[in-house]
Amino acid sequence: MNDFPLPVRAERSNPLARVFDELIDFCRARSMFMLHYCTGCGAIELPPAMTSRFDMERLGIQPMVTPRQADILLITGYVSIKTLKRVILTYEQMGSPKYVIGICSCTVNGGMYWQSYATAKKLNEYLPVDVYIAGCMPRPEAVIEGLRKLMGEIKAGRANSWERYFREYDRYLAAQQNLFGPNWQTPTDIIGEARDYQLYGPGTEGRHTELLQQHQVPLQPLRMTLHSDVEKSS
Amino acid sequence: MSVLDQLLVFAFMTGAVASFIGDRRFAGTLLAILYFGQFLLLVKLAPLGYGAQPVVSAWQPALFGEVLVWRMDALGWYFALITVVAGWLVTWYASGEWGQGYRERGGNLGLMHTAVAANVVAMLLLLSSGNLLSLFVGWELVSWAGFLLMVMNGRESGGVSGPAGLRYITYATLGAMALLAALAIAHHASGSFEYIDLIDAVDQMTGPTRVSLVIAFALAFTIKMGLLPFHLWQAPAYAYSPGPGGAFLGAISSRVGLWGLAMVFGSLIGIGRIAGIELIPGWFDLRDVFMWVAALTIVLPTFTALRQNDARLLLAWHGIGQGGYMLLGLAAGDALGTGGGLMHVLNHASYQAPLFLAVFAVMHRTGTSDLNRLGGLVARMPLTFLVMLIGIIGLAGLPPMNGFVSKYLVYISLLRQGEPLLFILAVIGTLGTVLSVFKLLHNTFLGQLRVEHMEVREAPWSMLIPMLLMASVVVVTGTAPGLVLDWVASAQAALGLPVLDHTLGGAAGLDMLWVSGVLVYGFAVGTLLFLSGNKSRRVHQFDNYAGGHFLTAENQYQYSDQFYAGLMHHIGGWYRASFTWAESVVIASVDAMSAAANGFFRRTQAVFLLLLATLGSVAWLLWGVGS
Repeated sequence: MNDFPLPVRAERSNPLARVFDELIDFCRARSMFMLHYCTGCGAIELPPAMTSRFDMERLGIQPMVTPRQADILLITGYVSIKTLKRVILTYEQMGSPKYVIGICSCTVNGGMYWQSYATAKKLNEYLPVDVYIAGCMPRPEAVIEGLRKLMGEIKAGRANSWERYFREYDRYLAAQQNLFGPNWQTPTDIIGEARDYQLYGPGTEGRHTELLQQHQVPLQPLRMTLHSDVEKSS
Repeated sequence: MSVLDQLLVFAFMTGAVASFIGDRRFAGTLLAILYFGQFLLLVKLAPLGYGAQPVVSAWQPALFGEVLVWRMDALGWYFALITVVAGWLVTWYASGEWGQGYRERGGNLGLMHTAVAANVVAMLLLLSSGNLLSLFVGWELVSWAGFLLMVMNGRESGGVSGPAGLRYITYATLGAMALLAALAIAHHASGSFEYIDLIDAVDQMTGPTRVSLVIAFALAFTIKMGLLPFHLWQAPAYAYSPGPGGAFLGAISSRVGLWGLAMVFGSLIGIGRIAGIELIPGWFDLRDVFMWVAALTIVLPTFTALRQNDARLLLAWHGIGQGGYMLLGLAAGDALGTGGGLMHVLNHASYQAPLFLAVFAVMHRTGTSDLNRLGGLVARMPLTFLVMLIGIIGLAGLPPMNGFVSKYLVYISLLRQGEPLLFILAVIGTLGTVLSVFKLLHNTFLGQLRVEHMEVREAPWSMLIPMLLMASVVVVTGTAPGLVLDWVASAQAALGLPVLDHTLGGAAGLDMLWVSGVLVYGFAVGTLLFLSGNKSRRVHQFDNYAGGHFLTAENQYQYSDQFYAGLMHHIGGWYRASFTWAESVVIASVDAMSAAANGFFRRTQAVFLLLLATLGSVAWLLWGVGS
């Protein structure tokens, strides 16, 4: 479903590393915090999926209020251009590993908003999407089914598409700039994070990141200090 | 010349020095040294805190044949210690940059130093009073010294402090009149002003005389403490005093009311006799009145504090509420309750003073104490933040700080005495405290730093060291409350109350050494986990989640206005100006009484009024004969 090839996990020489990787993947798959970014009508299927009837907490999935602690970004319904900026901001604020689920036909291909000038059609052009759950709207069973599929992928160590955002950042940024204009920027330093995660690849920087760096104002973190003249903050 | 004489002379000298050279640049430092001298003299008196006999002053002036006796016992020493340390540290705080800033803003620094010194002298005189006459002299001095400190800040408070101080002195005069009435009753019953004679005479008193005596004493002391319904004067009067002065007043000044009540409940009349005065026989007695007033004093002012948007007012309202815990424990009457109540005096002083000083440090740097105009200062004033953090944990009564220990003792006492409703009220008060102190900390230090505060610097060391010293008292006496409980037990013994059985770690099954130890180990484990994990990345404060909103310097992410909107939606309707209304009712009834008196003297309705007065007197007399 993605336009870009899946990255392959590097072979590990240490046999114990594999055991730990599998253990970690198992734990990851079984405890996920979900930030739901409800943009449209599909949100109405989430309360039954979360509450007692379908009860996604039995799978270890819980809502979370901030992106910093969340594992899943769940986007329901159509994504207008204005909304998409917020979705990308939120996605970039999440800590890795992070997974994106698109619910409803609108996230797959624009759905009934196909002809709208103000709606982003394919979500996975702008963000790496792990699972799409099609339907207008998908029933809670389908939502749970999609979540189970994601869990299976994580457990099998295949849900690595978040790495692609760092490796292929220039291509994602190209699509974003194409839609939002050349002045588009978010506060998160993706290239720095790519280096931090050791995911810096040939596609991380390119023509579009150069354009970004021309106008991006770097935001220095606010450090605790006794004398503010040590640091002139931006 | 006994050590007490030396102490009083030294305190007078400090006051004299303050009034002569208080506005000089070095005066603050000199005064801080003089206060430290007073502190050393108190340390010399320390055997009082461990059960020694009271120290009598050689100076006993006679007045119309009556002798003014000065004598310091364990209770007085305990309160005096808090007073002098508070005076010492707030003067130190004012000695450096704060004092210069105050003078530059047009404040009279010399007058402020004089006022603080006068308060300390007056309180020392009161706390070492040895009979009712010297008590009255000390009481009046304390009232007027407090008034001086409250009204001197007119220009800086925008003219608010003057009316607040006048309101205080109106209440204080009423209290002084009540104390005078109590003295008259006591002298009539015992024939002298000595405590011993009064204690003997209380047994022979008729019911109404005893009730009148209790009510007169209670009125005098509860007004000073700011108990319901006489609490309206306190918050504005303290909040708008000049910084260190406000901290001093908030920390200890109003506690002399509790000192007086402790004397009444302990030695002078006895909580048992007060409990014997039954209002509804078998169900509700005068002691219950005190306990319920105390419990309501905890709840109502605390939730009033929750609504304040000025940090100073928020703290001042909490000062009133915390007084309720002290009285509640004292009125409970057993070893645990009175121990907790008396210990809370030191605890309250030890966190209220640094909290006030931290707020004034923030004001010194940013120019405001408006909780809607601050935020994010932890990155610029981390040590002040630390002081406030320790202070609010103490104020909220959470372990491992000392506020927890005293509140715990009061809770246990209430539970053991079978007072679940009062216990619940006390816990509700604590809940309100937790909520409002979090608002204080959050709106000042957490959240996002404002653009205009980017260049703010940490408070200077002359302000930080006194604050940190006080905060360390909160931690040390929280970890080892036995240090204070020794003094409290001596004070209980001096009052004739049951003595609290305690260890270094606490009392009533509580061992704070363990509690603090477990917390420290917990933090250590958490730190190890944090250090062993992946490296954390710092991000800019605008790289923050606000529902997907893009944050800018013009459009920050900081909740402060209407901080508890959801809670206020539920309880906001309960906030009515009912006490302001009650105060106006009192004023109206005083008006009516004076109109009636006017009518009586001008004989407009002479017969009718005479009839009313006669009926009232006859009813009072009949009750007296009947009991």
